[in-house]
Parts: sequence; C-alpha cells; structure tokens
Amino acid sequence: MAENFPPMTSVKRWFVTTNHKDVGILYLMTALFFLIFGGVMALLFRIQLLEPGGIGILSGSGYNQSVSAHGLLMVFWFLSPFAFGFANYVVPLQIGAKDLAFPRLNALSYWFYLFSGILFAISFFQGGTFEGGWTMYAPLNVPIYTPAMQATTGGTAAILGLTLFVLSTTVGTVNFLTTIHRMRAEGLGLWNMPLFTWSMLLTVWMMLFAFAALLAALLLLSTDRILLTQYFATQQGSSLLWGHLFWFFGHPEVYIVFFPALGMMFEMFQTFTGRRLVGRKWVIIAMVLVAVQSFLVWMHHMFLTAINLEIKTLFMATTIGISLPFDLMVFSLIYTMVKGRVRFTTPFLFSLGALVLFILGGITGVFLGAVVLDYEFRGTYWVVAHFHYVMVSGVTALIGGLYYYWPKITGKMYDEFLGKVNFAVYFVGFNLLYFPMFLAWETPRRVFHYGEGLQIYHQLATLGAFVLGSSFLILFYTLGKSLVSGPDAPDNPWEYARTAEWATTSPPPLENFDGRPTYASGKLEFVDTATDGGTATPGEAARADLERASHDVAQAHGEGHADHASIWPFGIGLGTFVLFLGLSGMTSWVEAFHPEFSSNPSYLYPSITILGVGILGYVLFQFGVEQFEAPEMAVAERWPFEGIETTKLGVWFFLASDVIVFGAVIGAYVFMRINAGWMSWGPIPEHAWAGLLNTYILLTSSFTVVLALEMARRKSKKGLLASMSVTLLLGLTFMGIKAWEWSEKFAHGDYWFSGLEYSLYYVTTGLHGLHVVLGLLLAGFMIYRVLTVDAYLEDSRPVEYFGLYWHFVDVVWVFLFPLFYLL
Amino acid sequence: MQTRVDVFDEIFLVFLGLGTLVGIVVISYTLYNAYKYRDVDGREKDEDLPTLGELPTGGGGGRKLFVSFGLSAIVVISLIVWTYGMLLYVEDGPSEDGIEVDVEGYTFAWDFEYENGVTSTGEMAVPVDTTVWIDVTSRDVWHTFGSQELRVKADAIPGETDRTWFIADETGEYRIECFELCGPGHSGMNADLIVMEEDEFQNWLDEQQQGGGDGGSGEGASGDGQQNETDAGNESTDAQNSTNETNGGGES
Repeated sequence: MAENFPPMTSVKRWFVTTNHKDVGILYLMTALFFLIFGGVMALLFRIQLLEPGGIGILSGSGYNQSVSAHGLLMVFWFLSPFAFGFANYVVPLQIGAKDLAFPRLNALSYWFYLFSGILFAISFFQGGTFEGGWTMYAPLNVPIYTPAMQATTGGTAAILGLTLFVLSTTVGTVNFLTTIHRMRAEGLGLWNMPLFTWSMLLTVWMMLFAFAALLAALLLLSTDRILLTQYFATQQGSSLLWGHLFWFFGHPEVYIVFFPALGMMFEMFQTFTGRRLVGRKWVIIAMVLVAVQSFLVWMHHMFLTAINLEIKTLFMATTIGISLPFDLMVFSLIYTMVKGRVRFTTPFLFSLGALVLFILGGITGVFLGAVVLDYEFRGTYWVVAHFHYVMVSGVTALIGGLYYYWPKITGKMYDEFLGKVNFAVYFVGFNLLYFPMFLAWETPRRVFHYGEGLQIYHQLATLGAFVLGSSFLILFYTLGKSLVSGPDAPDNPWEYARTAEWATTSPPPLENFDGRPTYASGKLEFVDTATDGGTATPGEAARADLERASHDVAQAHGEGHADHASIWPFGIGLGTFVLFLGLSGMTSWVEAFHPEFSSNPSYLYPSITILGVGILGYVLFQFGVEQFEAPEMAVAERWPFEGIETTKLGVWFFLASDVIVFGAVIGAYVFMRINAGWMSWGPIPEHAWAGLLNTYILLTSSFTVVLALEMARRKSKKGLLASMSVTLLLGLTFMGIKAWEWSEKFAHGDYWFSGLEYSLYYVTTGLHGLHVVLGLLLAGFMIYRVLTVDAYLEDSRPVEYFGLYWHFVDVVWVFLFPLFYLL
Repeated sequence: MQTRVDVFDEIFLVFLGLGTLVGIVVISYTLYNAYKYRDVDGREKDEDLPTLGELPTGGGGGRKLFVSFGLSAIVVISLIVWTYGMLLYVEDGPSEDGIEVDVEGYTFAWDFEYENGVTSTGEMAVPVDTTVWIDVTSRDVWHTFGSQELRVKADAIPGETDRTWFIADETGEYRIECFELCGPGHSGMNADLIVMEEDEFQNWLDEQQQGGGDGGSGEGASGDGQQNETDAGNESTDAQNSTNETNGGGES
C-alpha cells in the first residue's frame, strides 16, 4: 500500500492519509484557519467597544454571539488543535516512532475536529450561534429563559459541534497516551524523553480525564437542549452542577492549552542558548505536580458562589500551591540562558517574548489567588487581561514553534528579517491590546456599556487588536514567501538542537528514519533494519520475539509495508457530522410530544438525521472490515506498560475516560438528588425485580464473553459463535426488559421531561443503554466476521478487547441498579 | 470601621507595588541574561556543548534554582497568608448593626426589597456610613451583582442566596452592574446605587411605600442601552400596610 500512496500534491492524499506528519500539517492549517475565524470575532467586538454603549455594529445578542464564539473558537478550535498539530508532527519523530499507535484513529480525530468546526460555523446560519459565553453557564445554556435563545437550533448545533470536538480529543488522547507509553525508541526511557514530548504526555493525561468530564457535561446539556430534560433548567442546583462539571474540566484545560507551549519553549530555549535545561529533573517533577493538582483547584472559579469559608480556604491553598511549580519552571528557563550562546532567531524571540508575557500573566494571577481580591476581580477585565497574558503567551511560544519547525516540515527556510518584523509587530500589538485591559479592569466582562472614564483604554486595546491581527498577515506572508522561493533547509538548521527530529531529512521520509533509531549506546544511532536485533540486549530481544510471535499476521506483511491510507476515517467524520447536524434541529419534534409546548416541526432535520445514521452505518462497517497494518515497533521502550499489548492499552485508556464520563453523570445524579433532599424522591422504576433480573442477565452475559474468548483461543468456531450469540441474545433481552419498563412508564405519562428526577433516571440509564446497544452492534459485527471470514480464530485478541468493554458496561450497571432501583 | 474599599485598597496597593517590583526585577534579569550571553564570535571551544542525538542530562544549577524558587514561594505564600486575615474580616463583616436588603436579579434588571417590605427596581438607596447586608439571588439565570466603586460583589444564582455586605462612606450615585453573562441585555443590566443621609433614606423609604408604582424604577435604570424594563416596579405597590419599622441601625 505504501507504494501507491498518492503524492503530497494530490488532493486525494489529504483525504486518505493516516500518516502522522500529514495529519499534523492538516491540524496546523485548520487550527490557523480557526485562529483567523476567532480573531475576526474579536475584532468585531473590539470595534463595538470603541465607545461606551457600543458604536452599534452589534446588537446585544450579536455581541454575545461574537464574544462566545471568540472564546469557544480560540480555546477549543485553535489552541489545543494547534498544539496537537505540532504533537502529531513532532512527537513520533522525537521518540523515534514511525507513526502513532493507531494511525486511522489519528486521521479520525482530525476529521472529527474539522467537521466539528464546520458544524460550529454552520450554527451561525441556523438562527444564530450559541450566545451563553464560552463557560456556557446554566441555566442560560438551556433554551427556556431568554427569548433570543428560543432560536435553539443554532445554539444546539454549536453545543453538538463542541461535543464532536471533544470526541475528537478523546480519540486523540487515547492515541497519544498509547504511542508515548509504548513506542519509544530503544534506550529512550521516560525520563529521557525530550521536554516537548513530556509536556504532551502530561497534556494528554490531563485531557483524558478533564475532557471526559466536559463530554459528560455536554452530553447532559445536549439532552437538555434536544430532548428537553431538566439537568440545567431547574432553579435548584442546576447552576452549581454546571459550575462544578465545567470547572472540573475548565481548570485543567488552562494547563492543557499551556503545557504544549511550555514544552515548546523548553525545546527552543535549549537549542538557541546552546545549553541544557537547568534542573531538568525538577522541571519534569514540577510539571507532573501541576498535572495532578490541576484537578484540585476548580472551585477557585466559584469563590463568589455561596460556598463556605473552609472550602474557600482549601481551594485558596491548592491554588497557591499550583502556582509555585511554575515559578520553578520560569527560573529554570531564565538560568538556562546563563553562560549560553543566545542567538536571537525568530523562534527564540517568540520564546523569550512568551516568557516575559507569561511572567506578567503569572504575577497578575497571584492577585486572583488572594480570595479577597478575587471577590473584586471576579467577572472583570482583570481576569480577561490575566488569562490572555497567560494563554496568548502560550500562543506566542507556539508561533515560535511554527518558525522553529517550519524548515523541518516544509524543507524550506524562511526570511529571518521578515520573521523578526513579525515578532516586533506581534509583541507591540499584544501589549497594546491586553495591557490596557489591566488599566480598564473595572469593566465587567462581556459588556459594551462601560464607564466613561475607561474609554481611552478600550480604544487603545482595539487599536492593539488590529496591530496584533496584522502581525499574522506578516506571518502568513513570510511563510508563503518561504514556500514559494525560500532556500532549501538542511536536516538540522539550528546549531545545538539535540532531539531526534533534527537527525532525519527535512521533510522526513514517510516512515521518519532510515533505519531503526536506538539510544541503546547512550546516544542516538540508527540500526539497519535488515540486521535488526544485533544491538538489542538479550532480554529485549526475547521480548521482541514474543511480540513478533503474537503478531504473525502483521509480520506476514512484513515491516515497512505498513499502510498509510484509508478513506474511512473521513467517512466516519462526515457521517457523524451529518448525524449531529440533523440532531441539532430535532428539538421541535420533541416539543411536539411535550404537553407544554406546541410546535410545527419540519421534516428536514429528521431526514438529515436518518441520512447521517445511514452514512455512519455504512462507513463504520467498511472501517471494520478494512485490512490496515499500522507501522509496528518490534523493539521499543514501553515502561510501565511492557506487559500490555498496544491495542489493549488503547482500550484501557478509552475505558478510563469512560469511567470519568459515567462518574460525572452519576455524580450529577447524586448532586441533584442531595440538593433536592435525598428522600424527597423514591425510586423511579416501578419494579425493583426487573432491575435485579437485568443485573443477572448482564452478569451472565459477561460470563459468556469470557467463554467466547476461551473458545476463540481453542480455535473453536462453533463454540465462539455460540457464546457470542448467547451474549448478543442476553444483551437483547436486557434491552427488551428495559424497553418494557420504559413503555410502562410512558403509559403512565412519566417522560424524561416530566421532572428532574425523571430526567436523571432516563438519561443515566439511557446512557448505559446506549453503551449496551453499541456493544450489541459490535457483537453482531463480530459474529458476522466469524461467519464470513473465520475471524478471531487465529488471533483472539479482538474478542478480549470486546470483553473488556462489555465487562465495563456490566460493572456500570452494578452501580446503577442500587442507585436507581433501591435507594 | 473598615469598609471594603479600604480593605481592597490596602491589599491591592501592596500587591501592585510588590508585583511591579518583582516583575521589573525578573524581566530585567531575564533580558539582561539574554543580552549578556548573546552569541558572539570567538568563544572558547572547549565548552561542553549539546550535540545532536544525545540523551538529555539535567543541566546543573539546581541550588540556584531552588533558592530562587524558595524566595518566590516565600513571597507568594506570605502575601496570601497576610490577606487571609482580611478575608476573615470580609467574611464576618463589621460587628455594627446595619440594614438588610434582599437583591434579586432577573433578565435584565435588579429588584431590591427592604426589611419593611418596600421594594424598588433599578434603584437601590442606602444610608451613608451604615453596614448594608445584602442577600443576593436570581429569579432566572446566573447573574452577578456588583458595584465596583464600593468593591462589593456577589453571585446571583437561582436557588442560592449569597450574603455579603458593604459600607458607603460618601453620599452620591454609584453604578450597579451585572458581572456574569446573562443574555442579550446583559451589557445594559445596570442599576443605580444611591447613597444618602440617614434621614433622606427614611424619606425615600416612605416615598416608596406610598408612591409605589413610579418608584425608583422609571428613571432609575441608567438609561443607556436596551434596558428590558419590565414593570416589576409595580410590585412595590402591594400595599404593605407596614408596621413601619424603621431600622436605621448604625448611626453611631
């Protein structure tokens, strides 16, 4: 397949590619597009802010839409994906891998990302996009409160777009975690990884849990908006429920967007000072501390809600605690310059600029750590200025990274003079835009009616916004000129660069290196793949042999014949997009059944939904049957997951994130029920025995899945078919009993929108039911594969992975049963 | 009696001073290093320079790093601990008696209800030099009540009541704004805070009680923008044949 892989000039290549470098380029370009999109939104409201009360180019609703879209686009569709673009391109090169662990899933993350952005853009034309701010506070985020929000389709499409984006990051997270943990070149222990890879590793660890919480929040919000459930619509607890769910994600998110930039700064500082990072070990420990602690500070975003003093004190302490490791990192960067050979190239200027801006952002953040000051700063431009100094200093470092890796990615050098001009304009524009916000700090966020005395600062900021915006025109011109007429770049254009990506050609070959990279001797060397194994230690060689034995299918194709193309990730992206677009307009159909609403729904959106389901069914099936060999690493460092096969590790990571999703949904149930008074509701289901029966059914089905694995290992086709079919039947029985229970409820007029307790019951058990249905579809597909191609008899591992998922779904039910049927 | 303005000014000035100082020192030192160690020709070649493909080793300088880190930690932690006493003061409030006002936000205006049942929309009158305790909540979505000049702020969350206080030590008109995005009219969701002498305040309360409907609401809204003025002001007419309990409080 590698032979007939289309060239980069072919349009087809960009739709089918699964190569990490191609996907990286796609990510970078798409992210830059969304930077412009979000930037234009910012310019719109900065113009509106030229006068107190606004100059009238935006209505109140238009202003809120542009503010909300700006925040959402920059945080979600620009910052993280831009970093992911670099991660895609650079991380496999830095660790000496040929590609990511799951190349097709990597392409899938990209297509989910692109289509999520398209869905968001479309939402502007569906009666206006979401206008509740990027924090999406409840209950403003549900349709009932403000008249303008009754045009729900656009707002729902925006929320669904964000949900699709989160699916993209979940897939990407699992992929990077598996890759970095299992595909490092021989001799490259975790400690020795380059710092950009380190920062990405910690980023994806945080993402795995933080984005799962956001996914749960968005799923609940989507059911509120489409199915009219009441999670965020009540007057009791809804606001705080959203606050907790959102900020549990939202604060780690700050580090999620900043860490990659930090890693990039570490790389560039080391290269352009010609020094090794001072206190490297401590810097890594500091980053790990931040990553762990980032999940323990979220309530400092809620100091002004009625939380009690003890909790405030606790979160004040954790907040101050999490700021200290950054001091260490900043000092480490500063000391790295000492006795160095500092070269003021464009990437270094951007890194140094980023450091200066980050110091300012950090100092102004300490103000917010003092709760008494936080009371007064809450909701003001002080917060706006502070987090722009922090986040956009991250952007600054990433722009530096773009210059740094440009020669590697394109094989062309850029014009240093233009690059420096770019930096100068950028830096002036940045400070002109954000510094006056500190001076105008008494302005409330997201308003254009501000005090008269603050006008000059807002005008300066608007001017700065245009200067900053124009610096990007210089950036694009510089890079465009380089592409057209730049001189060819050498393999390593930067003196004192140390990491492996500079040891290959610019741009690197499809599988990154000629020969297998190894650090076994203490420095990077390349082993001729034909005589591979000669340099490996006996223990590792034996381990490698084991891997090979279990990979005989892969080995039949031989290394170096890995696939790099599949159209189905694009297809899945498209299908999901069509489905979500259809769902965005389904609210009126639910309203038609709701006693309190009347609506006259059109058939447009149901048609789109059905079309989406059709496309998705077809492409998922094709994806499932496609033969695709990912590039394998026979010899690699895999600590601490030596004993877990690559795909299995991926499944484990996925399940870990799913645990958080269910944890958040069950947590929401407990939170809301405690808020309403635990005993004020009884169990919603009529018959506890039905739930108990279902528990037994699911547990039995877990047993039959174990049996299926055993049968596959014994290569017994009949046994495998029988046990899988019993599993399928048991699952169907479970769903049948559930359907009976629900229909009985419906007959009594108890729907999911009948009250909060009904919403909680239907949505939580419904989410579990959805997992069961997905499992049944998988089981059906597997039975089909056994029947048609005798699948899993040679290689039983997919049955094992299915089993892991199925057991997980069963365990969730074991929690749900007592919570909903007994208590 | 320390007002919240006093508390804020004191802390903010210290933070601002120290922050500026630290910022200038650290950034100057950064730029100084960058300049001092700029690459020039003719350096000695015997230095231990990084090479392509080496496994990273932690550069030295650990002690210096920890000294700087320790210093910054001490500054930050001592600052925060110092403010903690103020936090306790703000949480407990002054011990003197005061008046109580229930504040309710809704899209897009503020309602105020006084202890004797008087209500007002868009205009909040309070006596000067008196502790004003406010219980803030919301009728619909999440708002945040705040007046920057008096350094008071509280989240207005449906189903929750957030209690805080302030003291105005000068008469005059101040601005109440909403600090949480709450819908299309958020930008103009302002109200007036009028600080008056004690006797004036009593007159105002009486007026509200008799005059009812025209209450503060009509001209109370700060005028600019699309104030979605519901005529909720009329609620104050609900003739509270009140016992006219004049709780003047802290005229000390």
